[in-house]
Amino acid sequence: DPVSGDFTPNPRQQVSYTACLGCTTQCGVRVRIDKASGQVIRVVGNPYSPLSTEPHLPMKVSVKESLVAMSRFQDKGLAGRSTACGRGNAAMDQMSSPFRVLTPMKRAGPRNSGQWQPISFEQLVKEVVEGGDLFGEGHVDGLAALRDLERPIDAEAPELGKRVNQVAVLTSVNDGRENFSRRFWNQAYGTLNHVGHGSYCGGAYRSGSGALFGDVKKMPHAKPDLANAEFVLFIGTAPGNAGNPFKRTGGMLAKGRAEGRLDYVVVDPVLNNSHNLAAAEHGRWVPIRPGTDGALVMGMMRWMFDNDRVNTAYLAWPNLKAAQAAGEPSFTNAGWLVIAEDGHPRQGRFLRGSDIGMAVAAEDKYKDADPYLIATAGGELVAAETAAEPAVLEATRVIELGGKPVTVKTPFELLRESARAQSIDEYSAICGIPEEVITGLADEFTRHGRKASAVAHGGMMAGNGFYNAYAVVTLNALIGNLNCKGGFVMNGGGFKDNGAGPRYDLETFPGMLKPAGTPLGRNVPYERSAEFKRRQAEGKAYPATDAWFPNAPGLGTEWFPGALRGYPYGLKALILWSCNPLYGITGVRPLIEKDLADPKKLPLIVSVDPLINESNAFADYIVPDSLMYESWGWTAPWNGVPTKATTARWPVVEPKAVKTPDGAAIGMETFYLALAKAMQLPGFGAGAIADMDGKRYPLDTPEDWYLRGGANIAFAGKAPVGEASDEDLQLSGVERIRPQLEGVLKAEEWRKVAFLFTRGGRYQPASEAQDAEQPEWQAHRFTKPLWLWNETIGSARNTLTGARFRGCAQWTPPAFYDGTPVRRVHSEADWPLQIVSYKSALQNSYSIATRITGLHPDNPVVVHPADAAALGLQSGDTARIRTPGGAAECTVIVHEGVVPGVMAVEHGYGHRELGARAHRIGDQVQPDRPDLRAGINLNELGLSDPTRGGKVIWVDAVSGTAVRQGIPARLERV
Amino acid sequence: MKSCSDLPVFPASPSRRAFLRGATVLSAAAAAAPVPAVAGTGKKQWAMLVDVRKCIGCQACTVSCIQENAVPEGSFRTVVSTYSVKLTDSAQPAGTYVLPRLCNHCDNPPCIPVCPVGATYKREDGIVAVDGDLCVGCAYCVQACPYDARFINHETNKADKCTFCAHRVDAGLLPACVETCVGGARIFGDINDPEGELASRLKETQPQLKVLKPELETAPRVFYIGLDERFTGKVEGQGTLWKPRNLPHA
Repeated sequence: DPVSGDFTPNPRQQVSYTACLGCTTQCGVRVRIDKASGQVIRVVGNPYSPLSTEPHLPMKVSVKESLVAMSRFQDKGLAGRSTACGRGNAAMDQMSSPFRVLTPMKRAGPRNSGQWQPISFEQLVKEVVEGGDLFGEGHVDGLAALRDLERPIDAEAPELGKRVNQVAVLTSVNDGRENFSRRFWNQAYGTLNHVGHGSYCGGAYRSGSGALFGDVKKMPHAKPDLANAEFVLFIGTAPGNAGNPFKRTGGMLAKGRAEGRLDYVVVDPVLNNSHNLAAAEHGRWVPIRPGTDGALVMGMMRWMFDNDRVNTAYLAWPNLKAAQAAGEPSFTNAGWLVIAEDGHPRQGRFLRGSDIGMAVAAEDKYKDADPYLIATAGGELVAAETAAEPAVLEATRVIELGGKPVTVKTPFELLRESARAQSIDEYSAICGIPEEVITGLADEFTRHGRKASAVAHGGMMAGNGFYNAYAVVTLNALIGNLNCKGGFVMNGGGFKDNGAGPRYDLETFPGMLKPAGTPLGRNVPYERSAEFKRRQAEGKAYPATDAWFPNAPGLGTEWFPGALRGYPYGLKALILWSCNPLYGITGVRPLIEKDLADPKKLPLIVSVDPLINESNAFADYIVPDSLMYESWGWTAPWNGVPTKATTARWPVVEPKAVKTPDGAAIGMETFYLALAKAMQLPGFGAGAIADMDGKRYPLDTPEDWYLRGGANIAFAGKAPVGEASDEDLQLSGVERIRPQLEGVLKAEEWRKVAFLFTRGGRYQPASEAQDAEQPEWQAHRFTKPLWLWNETIGSARNTLTGARFRGCAQWTPPAFYDGTPVRRVHSEADWPLQIVSYKSALQNSYSIATRITGLHPDNPVVVHPADAAALGLQSGDTARIRTPGGAAECTVIVHEGVVPGVMAVEHGYGHRELGARAHRIGDQVQPDRPDLRAGINLNELGLSDPTRGGKVIWVDAVSGTAVRQGIPARLERV
Repeated sequence: MKSCSDLPVFPASPSRRAFLRGATVLSAAAAAAPVPAVAGTGKKQWAMLVDVRKCIGCQACTVSCIQENAVPEGSFRTVVSTYSVKLTDSAQPAGTYVLPRLCNHCDNPPCIPVCPVGATYKREDGIVAVDGDLCVGCAYCVQACPYDARFINHETNKADKCTFCAHRVDAGLLPACVETCVGGARIFGDINDPEGELASRLKETQPQLKVLKPELETAPRVFYIGLDERFTGKVEGQGTLWKPRNLPHA
């Protein structure tokens, strides 16, 4: 009641708090369900979740009060608005989609023929485990035979690992269930190869960030503190249009600009919803040529160095203790000395204590215990980690190393050399941004103390993306904004479910395997391979057979061309779990679709997925998976939430897939549990999980895993969470899973875990974002150095040319792997235009068959009026885009919201599957929906790399990430 | 102790904020700002305020309305029109303009007098509603609405439009579009409740308030901050960033 605040629940409905999976943000949502039919009626935000509400409700608020807080009572619903975005509102349509896979299926024709035979769960498990002549095409090894933990893939190259590595698992994004999958595939089955979609998503940005944050594998990253910032520079990322966390970013941007506190600039080849003319005095779009962000940023840096706008006082602190004593919550390696002598074997590496005669044990030489060095004002070289005084930033000198004179420099100097490599007008000519805008941006960026920041994302997926991204994030180091309120801030992280406690050990188990070998994506040093040793012995270590990426994480981009050519080795089985690489990896489809369809090249493909997409259409088996509100899981925000947060996914409705003989719905977990049982793998079944007293419990059901993970979350930290009341259980629908809660958990645990489900997660109070003692510092801080110079980058070599990479930000044009600029191969005369992709505000790669399609049916290509006029094209006309990698017919839309010479393609259209083709499953044929085929997919127009034999896709040479920004192209009339 | 705050202070320079100042600021209202006061009846009068500066064009409102009200494919009770606007007076070549549209629940609604059967009426609380039992689907009201807010529902063959989610509002809830507005652009409430968020916001922002097509004197109950007159009617010759199916005005 809006007057009294009294609350009368509708007895026919429940409102449950769980997670959305409409995109990778995975916001907390509230799902209204018709109890009788189990149908989802509507979805909005979860008021306890910081991903949906700003500020979010404290956990102690009861479920009833949380629902009242969403009503008109005292206008609470306006002040505490908890939202779902357009896609989040539409995503529920997937639940009842006619295109869902609900039963295990086996292909009933060649791969990708669209013909399937439903099979029983028992037949599925038996065939996948035991193999046999499964398709009348000859013998196929099953997973049991392929789990070869003894024999090497190649006796001549033992570093590749055992044959079990020839079973590989590709997934997309951690939806809260990846830990279960990794337990099965890495720890129990034993393969090394289990990667996600980062290398064809925003990986170049993450790699650039990883270089600055000193970890190119985990790639830490920070985000603007939009709640407190005064100025933010977004380069190749579109706040409020897309991105992660989408709603939180969009909401804070809207609030900041409407209140007048926040000014921001979006630098991008294409205009989007991050601009808003109604708030034009607070936000500006700066158009830029694709793949030239590094030129803009190095131009800004040059101006900052030349005009004394770099925060040198901050940069000089060589360690955290000294920095904090000076009031700085972060520090950099700007003053640590680097060996800069051309041709020196350790060129690009830091000078270490052992180099200058400090006492370091032999086994510690060049390891952590061997200190980095700075020069002091007194001219001494001292250990960086323990110095209490600032480093001299301009410290170039010649020292004697091994009896030879060697030049050393500081990262500060090396970066400044990079910035001064070109003049600002040269940088301006490259990126197409007027000189006064470059200097104006640099001026503005350095005028807000720490309440400014610069960030990037998908726009970095160019042929020089790593260095562009490294440049953008390095801007932040130059003003010292990391960990500062209003500056560049870290994610609060989540509460760990699969840790070694505090209630159950979900991290280890008896018989656990530790996978080893060379990852399929070759993201390790070539110099440690047998091939290198052989070639070195032959006198020519470089070139290698192909590219290696020692400074990249696992690379899905390299998997398919690599595995199908057998370099570094071939695959015997591929598991595709909820991923769609053929749709998502730029340029890969034309290179591999023929081989992928050939069982001789890759004998077994099994997919676990609720839908048939462009990739698992090639599978031999599809196993239905739970979808969105049907699944268990524990997810943490990817980034952008400064407080600790874990979102609970739980089956708020009964999963629709058919049941196993045990009566559980078929899904990823029940499939893997059955595989584990059939192969008698460790870590599953009776006694697989131990509590803190060493008492053992079974892992036979998904609940055995996720509820105990919930117990670890509920009891994490100083004090456990509260207990769910009976009213909480009733109103939230958690009552339905009460038997499982009470059955799996201990008496003192189950109501605490139920508390998490009734609130949809565990969330630290919003008021704890900043440090209690130091209100200008963030509570969750990055405590390691920022690497202005990164020695793992600066000492790595291009495996085709042997050339060294530069260890700091720089401008370098988009190029193929061996360094050949793309425009030298595909000239502007032949390919006068370029295409870029941009994220849709509505559609993602798998939301096509929802109500979004009626609202936003296709993706006309944005063409600049000047380019359209040259061809006589108008909005609505059909044209053909041609690139060196393919051609596609498209509709054009003509307006000034794009850089001349560039065509912009929205992501999420041009589907061949997900409803765009009607499959036959047994005697059923799916509905025919030609409208779902609308538009084009830029990823089908990507390029191969001629410097790698034209057999692999074009990727960035450092990060190994797919290139989808700045593909040479032309437009033709049809 | 100092902390993140030892800000270097730089002298003002001629280039200061040149890149932001160069942007177009929307022109001031041509018409006088509407006065959102209703005769002091003391009765509930529902209204909406849309702060366009806070709209991020995400269409959460559009989709939530479709789901809440089972709006058939291709029709919209509310939608956010999204334009790419060529700028000639700015350092940037184009900008994005978004305009959330819905029934204005006019105090002087042109749709009511044209209805031959009296199916369209104004509720006591100001909501303009359609009685489906009476409606014959003649579409006169669709033609009469200057805001393109009405359509014939091709499943029911009746006139259809935004109801401010009267079924939700009567139950003490917010309209679906308001509840899910990601940017917080939509404010809903009772104009006559001076304690309420809506009335106080309207009062606070009165000089900036505008309505769509004030010259028609329809007295809309949907007010806007940041409205640009160029986009209040049917928009010809401007680029849309994208286009929904069957939509007349975007």
